[in-house]
Amino acid sequence: MSDKKEREPEIVGFACSYCSFKASEMAGSLRMKYPENVRVIQVPCSSRVDPAFVIKAIFEGADGVFVSSCHPGDCHFIRGNYYTRRKMAALKEMFKAFSMDGKVKLFWISAAEARKFIEKITNMYNELREEKNAGKKN
Amino acid sequence: MQGKRIDKEKLRVALNRFVEKQNHIVYGYGKNGIFITHKIYRDNPEDLSLFNPYFGLNGATFFYRVFGKDIKVVMLLRPCEIRALIELVKLNQIEPETITMISIDCPGTISQKNAKADLPDDFIEIKKAFDKNDSGLRWACKFCREKRGVVGDAGIRVQEDGGLWIFPYTDKGSDFLNLIDGEIIEYTAKFVISESIKTEPFVTDMDKFYNDFSKCILCKNCRDMCPVCYCVDCLFNGDEYLPKGDAFINKMLRTGTQNLPYGKEIFHMIRMYHVSQTCVGCGACEEACPQDIPLTKYFKGISERLQNLFSYMSGRDIKETIPYLTFKEDELKDAED
Amino acid sequence: MRIGIFICHCGHNIKSTVDIDKIKEFFTGSINITSVLDYPFLCSEPGQALIKNSIKNDKLERVVIAACTKSLHQDMFKSLVRNAGLNPFLLRRIGIREHCSWVGDDIEKNTVKAIKLIKAGIYSLAHYESLEEKLVEVNKSVLILGGGISGMSAAIFLARSGMEVYIAEKENELGGHLRHIKEIWPVRKQGREIIDKMKMTLKELKNVNIFTSSRLISFCGSFGNYQATLETPEGEKKITIGGLIVAIGFSPFDPSTKPELQYGIDKRIITTLDFENNMNISFKEGDRVAILHCIGSRDDSIGKTYCSRVCCINAIKTANYIKSQNKNTYVESFYMDVRSHPRGGEEFYEDTQEKGVFFTRANISEIIPEKTGVILRGEDTLLGMPFEREFDLVILSIGLSYPEDGHEIANLLKITLDKDGFFLEAHPKLRPYDTALKGIFIAGSCSGPKDMEESINHGRASAVKLYGLLNLGYTFVEPFIANVDTKRCSGCRVCEQVCVAKAINFDGNLHIVRVEEAACMGCGLCNATCPSSAISLKGYFDSFITDEISGLLEIA
Repeated sequence: MSDKKEREPEIVGFACSYCSFKASEMAGSLRMKYPENVRVIQVPCSSRVDPAFVIKAIFEGADGVFVSSCHPGDCHFIRGNYYTRRKMAALKEMFKAFSMDGKVKLFWISAAEARKFIEKITNMYNELREEKNAGKKN
Repeated sequence: MQGKRIDKEKLRVALNRFVEKQNHIVYGYGKNGIFITHKIYRDNPEDLSLFNPYFGLNGATFFYRVFGKDIKVVMLLRPCEIRALIELVKLNQIEPETITMISIDCPGTISQKNAKADLPDDFIEIKKAFDKNDSGLRWACKFCREKRGVVGDAGIRVQEDGGLWIFPYTDKGSDFLNLIDGEIIEYTAKFVISESIKTEPFVTDMDKFYNDFSKCILCKNCRDMCPVCYCVDCLFNGDEYLPKGDAFINKMLRTGTQNLPYGKEIFHMIRMYHVSQTCVGCGACEEACPQDIPLTKYFKGISERLQNLFSYMSGRDIKETIPYLTFKEDELKDAED
Repeated sequence: MRIGIFICHCGHNIKSTVDIDKIKEFFTGSINITSVLDYPFLCSEPGQALIKNSIKNDKLERVVIAACTKSLHQDMFKSLVRNAGLNPFLLRRIGIREHCSWVGDDIEKNTVKAIKLIKAGIYSLAHYESLEEKLVEVNKSVLILGGGISGMSAAIFLARSGMEVYIAEKENELGGHLRHIKEIWPVRKQGREIIDKMKMTLKELKNVNIFTSSRLISFCGSFGNYQATLETPEGEKKITIGGLIVAIGFSPFDPSTKPELQYGIDKRIITTLDFENNMNISFKEGDRVAILHCIGSRDDSIGKTYCSRVCCINAIKTANYIKSQNKNTYVESFYMDVRSHPRGGEEFYEDTQEKGVFFTRANISEIIPEKTGVILRGEDTLLGMPFEREFDLVILSIGLSYPEDGHEIANLLKITLDKDGFFLEAHPKLRPYDTALKGIFIAGSCSGPKDMEESINHGRASAVKLYGLLNLGYTFVEPFIANVDTKRCSGCRVCEQVCVAKAINFDGNLHIVRVEEAACMGCGLCNATCPSSAISLKGYFDSFITDEISGLLEIA
C-alpha cells in the first residue's frame, strides 16, 4: 500500500455540516493556513460517520483520520454526537490495541472555533510526520 | 441460592414431560456416532448429553430468525452459546417467547477437527482429562471469560463431588423447574468452577496481524459461522469495500501494487468492530477457518477490550442494552483529543 | 456518464495559488468527463450563462463546480442547474477556495490537493441520483424573544405585514435598556418617549400578543413548525410558530468584576448608566470629574478583547452634559482611542473639546479613594509620563457584555454563541441576521454591541428576512431523509433504538423497519448504526463517502 519514496503524512477528516465544517470554511475565509495534505469530507452530522469509513481510510493509505464534531450537548441533531463519542472511543481503543495509537482522533469543534480547528489538525499532522521520520512502520 | 438437585434421569423425565406437549422441542447435545453433536429432539431425548467436549460450531446459529410464537424450545447448551442466543434476542433475530435457555457449566472443549478419541460424557471426567493434558484445549476455552452456567433462564451447575444442580434465573426458568421432580432447596456446597477468569487487555500490532492473516483467502466462513453476525445481506457482499471486476482492475491501476486477495484487513477490521459489542468469544470463527488462522485471539481479544470500555459483557443480561445503542451525557471525558 | 467540470478563478482568489491549467489538463479527456471549463467568476451573469449553456449543449448528466465553498450561492447554483433542465441534486460543489487556495501557500501542493478534491468529488458524484425537495406548509407566525428596541422594531414590521406575532419579555414591561436612557444622542429624546411610541403602535395592531414577565422554557420542531412553550404569570402557554427572532439584548458590564476599579466600594465611583439614572446630580464650581473610557472592553485581563462601540459617544455625551450644566467644572476624559464613529460623532467630539473637556490618552493603573477625593494614578501614553490626579467624581464608561440568558437560550434553541458569549451569526458579512438554523434569526445587541440606530435596523432586517421565508405559507425541505431497503433489512431495530427524531417504526408483519419521512431530521445516525447499511441516508449513501475516501487517497 505504501510507496517506496517517503511521503508526507496524508490525513482525511470528517466534519459535520453544522459545526466543524463551518469552522473549516471560516478558517478558509480568514486565510488561516494548514498543511495541504489534510482533506476534509463533509457529513451532515458526525453520527453519520461509520467507523467502517475510518477503517477504510486508514487501510487505503491515510496516515491519520479525524472526526470533528460539535461539542457534546450542542449537536444540531440534538443527540447525534453522543453516539459518535461512544463509537469513536471504541474505535480508538481498537486501534490502540493494534498499537496504532494516534492515527484516529476525535475533535470537538464548534462553528466559531476556526482557530482550534487549525491548531488541532496541524498538531495531528506534525505528530504523524515525526512518527514517520522516526522510522516507525505502520 | 435456591435450586433443585438433579441427575441425568430426573432431567430426562422432566424433558420428556416437556416434549409431550404439542410443538415442544428440546435442543441440546446428543450422541452422533463416536462424537457428540447438537441435536434437536421431538420426542424422548434418550441420548441427550449435558456435556459436549467437542466444539464444531456455536449452537446459536441454528436458531437465527426463528420468529414463530407457537413453538416452544428448551435449550441446554454451553454458556457461550446461551450468551450468543441472548445477544440475538436483543437484536430481535429470535422470538424470546419461544425459547427457554439453560446454560450448563462448561469444562472446556477441543476442536471437533482434532477429535479422535472418545472423550467421556461426564463433567468431572472431562475436566480431569483437560487438567492432565490441555494441549488439545481450544484457545477460546483456555481463556474463556464465563464457563459457569449463570446465564439464560436457568443454569445447571456442577458441585465439587460431581453432583448436578439446576437454578432458575427468570420466571421461564422457574416454569421449567416445575417439571422436575423434587423440592427447591437452599444450596450450600461449593461449585467446581466458582468464578470467571480475568484476562489481560489484548495488545498486538499490524506486523503480527499481517503475519497471521497472510493466509486468509477471504472465504468469509468466519463471518458465516459467527453466531452474532446476523446481517441478512452483509456489507462485504457488495463492492463498496471490496471492488469487483473492472472497477477492481482500474483501482489497482490507479493505486499501485497490492497483495491479494485485496481488502483482507479491511474485512477483518470492520467485522471486528461490528461484532465487538456482541462477540461471546466462542471461537466458532477459528473452527470454520480453512486456513487455521488464529482468529479467536484477535476477535475475542478486541471484543473483550472494547466491551470492558463500557463495563459490558455480551450475553450477561437480556435487559442490558448494547453499548453502541445508548449513551450517558456525562461520560468518556477523555474521548476528545 | 457525461460529467461537466467548471472551475472558477474567483478573480485571483483561486487562480493565484492554484494552477488551474494543470487541473484542466488532468481532467480533460478523462473517461466520463465531457467538458472542463474555467472562468474568472462563475457566480457572475456570464459565468452562470456558461454553465447553463454547457449543460444544455453538451447534454451533461452530472455537474461539478469547483469554486467557493458549498454554503455560498448554493440556492443560486441549484436553481441554475434546474433551469438548465438537470435535477439540482446532480450538482456537486467543491470548495477549492476555502478548502484549498485560501488555506495553503504552495502552488504545487495546492494544485495536487485541488485535483484530489475534484477527483474525489467526481467519484462520489457518479453515484448521485435525482432527488426532489419536499413541500411543507409553514405557519405564518413568529415568536420574538425580548421586547427591547430591536425586538419591538421587528414586531412592528412583522405585524404590519400580516404575521401573527408573539413577544416574550422577561421584565414586567417592554422597552429593554432604552427605558433607562434619559437623553439619547443626537436626537435629544428620552428613551421612554421612543419606547412609548412603539408600544402604542404595537397596541393598535391586532395580531400582536405580548407576554411580559415571561420566559421561554422549551422549544422543538423544525422550520415552519416550531413548538415553543412560554412560562407566563398566567401559567404555561404553548404556541406553534413558523420562525423565531432572538432579541434579548445585552448585559451592561459590571465593573465590580474588576475590584481595582473600586466600584461599589466608594460612592464616588459610578458608571455612565448610574449617571443616566441620576442625571439630577448638580455640579458646583470647581468640581472635578474624571471619565474613564473602555471599561469592560478591549481588556485582555477579563477576556473581553472587543470594542463595545457605543461607550465613547456615551462618555463624550456625559462630558458634554456636565460642562453644559456648569462650565466651571474640571472634566477630564481618559481614553485609549476615541471612536465617535456615528454620523456627526466627530463634530460632537470636537465640540466637547471646545467646551473645555480635556481628553488625555492614558492607561489608568490605580484608583485610590481618599478623604479629599478619588486619586487616579496612571501613565499619559502620548507624553510617556506618569501622573496622579485627584477627582470628586469618577464616571466609568462601561461597555456591553453578552446577555446573561444567552447560554440558556442558546441551549434551548440549539444555536451557537461566539467566544465572547454573543450569539453567532451564520456569516459576519453575508448573513448577519441568520443563525445556523433555518427560521431562527437574531436581532440587536445580543449578537454584538450596537447603538440604538443599528439595533432598530438589525431588528427590521431580521424581520424582513423571516417574512420572506414565511410569506408564501409553504417551503421546500431538503430531501435528505433515511430510506430502508426492505430486502436487506434484518429487523434488528438498532436504528429504531438510536433514532433521535423517533422517526423509525417496526413493522411486525414483515419484520423490517420503516421511516416516517416527516419526522426524519436527516442526520444519518441510523445509517452508521446499521451494520449492513440496510437503512441509508439519501444524499449521503455509503458509496458516496467510501468512493470519496478512495478518491482522496489515490496516488497521483
